[in-house]
Amino acid sequence: MILLQSPSRYLLQILSTRVQNLEKGVELDCQWIEFDDVRYHIQASTKNPNLLVLSVSLPTPPPETVFFGGLPPEAIEAIKAAYGTVVHILDPPKDGFNLTVKLNLSKLPPDEEHRQALLGKIASIREVVQGAPLRAVLKQLVSRTVKSDLNKLISLVHRPNESFFVVPQADKVTVVFPMRFKDSIDSILATSFLQEFVDARRTAGLGNAPHYLWSPSPPQELEGAPAEALLANAGFVSFVISPRHVQGRKLDKTVWSLSTFHAYVSYHVKCSEGFMHTRMRRRVESLIEALDRAKPDWKKVKRAVQTRSFKRLSINDGRATSNSRN
Amino acid sequence: MDAAGSRPAVVIDNGTGYTKTGFAGNVEPSFILPTVVAVNESFVNQSRASSKKGSNWLAQHSAGVMADLDFYIGEEALTRSKSSSTYNLSYPIKHGQVDNWDAMERFWQQCIYNYLRCDPEDHYFLLTESPLTAPESREYTGEIMFETFNVPGLYIAVQPVLALAAGYTTSKCEMTGVVVDVGDGATHVVPVADGYVIGSSIKSIPVAGKDVTRFIQQLMRERGEHIPPEESLEVARKVKEMYCYTCSDIVKEFNKHDKEPAKFVKQWRGTKPKTGAPYSCDIGYERFLGPEVFFNPEIYSNDFITPLPEVIDKCIQSAPIDTRRALYKNIVLSGGSTMFKDFNRRLQRDLKKIVDARFELSDARIRGEVKARPVEVNVVSHPIQRNAVWFGGSVLASTPEFFKACHTKAEYEEYGASICRTNPVFKGMY
Ligand SMILES: Nc1ncnc2c1ncn2[C@@H]1O[C@H](COP(=O)(O)OP(=O)(O)OP(=O)(O)O)[C@@H](O)[C@H]1O
Ligand SMILES: [Mg+2]
Repeated sequence: MILLQSPSRYLLQILSTRVQNLEKGVELDCQWIEFDDVRYHIQASTKNPNLLVLSVSLPTPPPETVFFGGLPPEAIEAIKAAYGTVVHILDPPKDGFNLTVKLNLSKLPPDEEHRQALLGKIASIREVVQGAPLRAVLKQLVSRTVKSDLNKLISLVHRPNESFFVVPQADKVTVVFPMRFKDSIDSILATSFLQEFVDARRTAGLGNAPHYLWSPSPPQELEGAPAEALLANAGFVSFVISPRHVQGRKLDKTVWSLSTFHAYVSYHVKCSEGFMHTRMRRRVESLIEALDRAKPDWKKVKRAVQTRSFKRLSINDGRATSNSRN
Repeated sequence: MDAAGSRPAVVIDNGTGYTKTGFAGNVEPSFILPTVVAVNESFVNQSRASSKKGSNWLAQHSAGVMADLDFYIGEEALTRSKSSSTYNLSYPIKHGQVDNWDAMERFWQQCIYNYLRCDPEDHYFLLTESPLTAPESREYTGEIMFETFNVPGLYIAVQPVLALAAGYTTSKCEMTGVVVDVGDGATHVVPVADGYVIGSSIKSIPVAGKDVTRFIQQLMRERGEHIPPEESLEVARKVKEMYCYTCSDIVKEFNKHDKEPAKFVKQWRGTKPKTGAPYSCDIGYERFLGPEVFFNPEIYSNDFITPLPEVIDKCIQSAPIDTRRALYKNIVLSGGSTMFKDFNRRLQRDLKKIVDARFELSDARIRGEVKARPVEVNVVSHPIQRNAVWFGGSVLASTPEFFKACHTKAEYEEYGASICRTNPVFKGMY
């Protein structure tokens, strides 16, 4: 897996099983959390198996980001546009959540293909809700109707108490991410990744990709942003989005990729750490094998110590264990 | 407490056959995935071959990166390997023990990022291990969890202890009892007293779910049922899970089947994977012979011939004498292969027979001088038995004591992986 997918796998699984076993209509009550602190709670009772109540909570916005009625701007419109009559917004939402909706499965389209597509869309509810303000800005870019307050800085929440920034202009939208990592090793790896992106962007075949910039200090677009938003231990990333990146079906993908950019980088940092460990383990194993071969009776020491951690694999330990086995 | 302490913990029960994974506080795991990884080896070989020719490093580099990310787990892995020969399957766990750490790490990676889709830095983790796992393996697990995934806290629980804890909410339940965990690759009989495993009395049996499946496959093959060979193991597993049951007497059961085949013989229908042509076959005696493997192992294996009830009895007899009564009273089933219909009844009956026989013998010996109290034998079966280990983990990981019992990232950095060797029994367990 290279990219994070937008539908929640678990939510989709719950919805699909529900649709397939409507007549059984078992009781349901599950809670879970996804990356960037998006929480879900889904409930269904045996009374009406067609009705599901889904609650979603978004990451807490930092002070510079505004929510209207607990939701990002444009979110209500986005939900209505995406789901039509299948989804009904309940007001007020359940305690501790930003949004509660009632799903009515009896209103799903009858033909299989559309139904699957809509279920997938419901499972992507975080993209619809959280990405709503960004989608609205990018849509204006397509229709070239960017409002006249040029160079206004919009801040959008993407992680708990952290936001990224959007600067809409007539012919382009600049998106700036302050990149922060908890772990010091993570931030070093991420920094080198982000710098390498600059070179990678120049390779042939990527000519149409958005312009990409990385800088260790806040770029000038962030002038006027609050001070705490300007601290980042892995630098600042800017993408310049032109109308061609958001035309037609590209829009949803671009919105998702941008709003989960931090999660994407963090996932790849974790992957590369994993693979470094894999290689280290291989190296240790081959060294041990070489050491074992050097012993006069190495054949007896079959497949030495496979379940030992690196720490106790010093030469002495290796000898101690093999002696005790002989 | 830090922010991660306010979020539900992630509970992962890695089994030989299936991995159960989800968030604490729920009744069911979010995902039950076959513990298997499909890795694309062609990239690796390709880049090695091309490196000899000295082609450009960028191509090699990206081939390496692609190979690192090009793998699947669970059902997806199985379908990928079926439809294309570029993927090789690897099973990270053998007989309850991690066998291939590379595959295991990859499995966890996808489990966390692709299935649960959570950020491991945000959650405490509860993992499980078999009662026979070596402390070194726990260190390894700790290294991967803290180094690669940066988890803020980790607890590695022993599977049977969790299975006991699962009964916690279903009845008054104590943390003393014998857990009979029959999974896919291993069967363990584990006595637990006040939350502590009595290590010296653990008994393991080399017969588990996988063997039942193989036995059924063998029976069907010997009878000459026409099942495509590449599918036969899969079919045998499905037949086992859907149609098998535990009988009370094998001879009577044969007679029943012979008298009323229409009632007992079932049909299996499938389509051949290559041609798509439909086929069907009969399911007969294997319906009760499969589970019989646990009660009369000699029908399947020549090496291991002690029936499960006898193993349980031996296990309890080897435990400290003051725990035995309590152990007989609370024998808890756990694992997918205890799901056969009436499995608990048969186990209870056979075990009671052994215990009663011994009781009468000793009663006859002392002849009325002191009247002993009969031993109560109780095999407990509960509805969430199949995922009892996971559910127990889910219950325990939602208590406040859990977060205090976890090893934290700070401790790991201070003392190293050796802290993961022991995991304290904490309050809430008893
Ligand atoms: N309804 C059922 N009836 C009989 N067997 C079943 C049923 N459901 C699952 N199984 C079998 O149970 C086994 C899986 O059980 P479980 O998930 O407890 O094992 P595991 O945890 O993967 O393995 P282990 O604990 O040995 O490492 C498989 O062999 C599966 O075929
Ligand atoms: Mg198990």
